[in-house]
Amino acid sequence: MRVKQISLHNYRNYNALSLEFTHNLNIFLGQNAQGKTNIIEAIYYAAMGHSHRTNIDNDLIQWEQSKAKVNLVFDRMMVENKLSFNFSTEKNKEIIYNGHPIKQKDLIGVINVVLFSPEDLSLIKGAPAGRRRFIDIEISQASPIYYKQLSKYNRIVAQRNMLLKKIKERKSSKDLLESWDTQLAVIARDLVMKRLDAIKKLNMLANLMHRKISTNKESLEISYIIAGLEDNIVPEDLNTWYNNKLSESREIDIIRGNTSVGPHRDDIILKVNNINLRSFGSQGQQRTGVLALKLAELEFIKSETGEYPVLLLDDVMSELDANRREQLLLFIRDRIQTFITATDMNYFPKENIGKYYHVVAGKIVE
Amino acid sequence: MQYIAPLAKLVEHFRALPGIGAKTASRLAYHILDMDSDKAKALANAIVDAKEKIGYCNTCCNLTDTNPCHICASTNRDQSVICVVEQPRDVAAMERMREFKGLYHVLHGALSPLEGVGPDNIRTKELLARLYSGEVKEIIMATNPNVEGEATAMYIAKLLKPIGIKVTRIAHGLPIGGDLEYADEVTLSKALENRREI
Repeated sequence: MRVKQISLHNYRNYNALSLEFTHNLNIFLGQNAQGKTNIIEAIYYAAMGHSHRTNIDNDLIQWEQSKAKVNLVFDRMMVENKLSFNFSTEKNKEIIYNGHPIKQKDLIGVINVVLFSPEDLSLIKGAPAGRRRFIDIEISQASPIYYKQLSKYNRIVAQRNMLLKKIKERKSSKDLLESWDTQLAVIARDLVMKRLDAIKKLNMLANLMHRKISTNKESLEISYIIAGLEDNIVPEDLNTWYNNKLSESREIDIIRGNTSVGPHRDDIILKVNNINLRSFGSQGQQRTGVLALKLAELEFIKSETGEYPVLLLDDVMSELDANRREQLLLFIRDRIQTFITATDMNYFPKENIGKYYHVVAGKIVE
Repeated sequence: MQYIAPLAKLVEHFRALPGIGAKTASRLAYHILDMDSDKAKALANAIVDAKEKIGYCNTCCNLTDTNPCHICASTNRDQSVICVVEQPRDVAAMERMREFKGLYHVLHGALSPLEGVGPDNIRTKELLARLYSGEVKEIIMATNPNVEGEATAMYIAKLLKPIGIKVTRIAHGLPIGGDLEYADEVTLSKALENRREI
């Protein structure tokens, strides 16, 4: 995967900008609030259909403008493709893929990216929702059907939760739960099976990376925790298990007004040398863990799609120490097209590793 | 431009219709002003007529100008099968097929707690009332293949179980005449799941 060209019109603080990229490292240097991250955001948007910084598309349109445009030229499996986004304050955005309009749900998987930003550093310490989002984004890119199943699942959970609240207020009958539970159990099984499969691959890859970064001193283990499951279970039995669990927890669910079992409650646990990284890992260990996870994600997407994704490093160079920076650059150099924002040129080695762009107030000098 | 109250009112009425934005609304309004007086009156009468003469069939709840509707009243149709759909336009779609000879029942919606639609808001009672005569042998659930339609189908199936009537669900899968490679992944996996022996 390689992004060759981008042009922005009235996008954030760029009036009109057109850039060509190298297949190696693209480094955006500049002071804060000059528009470095806006470039990375535009590439991320093209891959995901939403920004990593806002959920409101109109925020992307330049102040006092009513329209914005983003065009990308990229290679997928060495074949050139074009993707355009037209934003307007008056109507919904348009996505044009090689000249044809497409829907948001068909966008996922067109461009594969891995984003590494300072928020990821709290992936291990933070709430389970962050880790679920991580695994969901990763699988969705490799398997677009997963993304569709996930939105269907979320819809069922939302419907069921609303029904639970109505039952609590005695506005609805308990008999209605079954038709949602049956559907929920089927999709829950499908989602969990895909997550288990992804975690298995990721576990192997991340451990390899972790050993490399820690120079063989530590080994990393990633496991998936199914909420409410005490014994082992073969994935084929998950459907029945979810059905039973949903009817068991029915009364509690009604009192709480939400659904207590299902993939939206599951978690991912990372252990280093058998010690839970979340509770007992040092800050340094946690950062190494996140880095290993992100590098494993690159390998995972390559193994699923046949090609490395584009890597976006938003402001993380300053968060990593010299050793981890070196390990990271060593891994991506000459292998993965990478977009990096940084304030300091000293984070990078002296020799030629890519292209530098100096960003000053919405203008770029190469 | 000077403000003309009746024109502005007409534009606003058009704008309130589904799929019509500000530009289309004003184009339609100007078009009507250009029409012959007779034609404009005929259009207005058609709207009033449709609204006054069309109601719901007491039996199947479909839109009709006679009661019972011509499908329910027909002696040529199989009285033992009822196809349950969400909307009157679904009946029209089924009828275009000209294959189905049974009766219909229109629910006017699907279960959706988020939108405040429960069993009392769709025509389930009317459906149950039709079953006591004992003539009906099969109910075909043809609600939409989304989570709400699926929940509605399951709910009604459960409701009818004690009565002992056979309840079936329409199949999901590949469109006929389409190419396998163009099918989306969800449809394809459903088709695979619902495969049958030949």
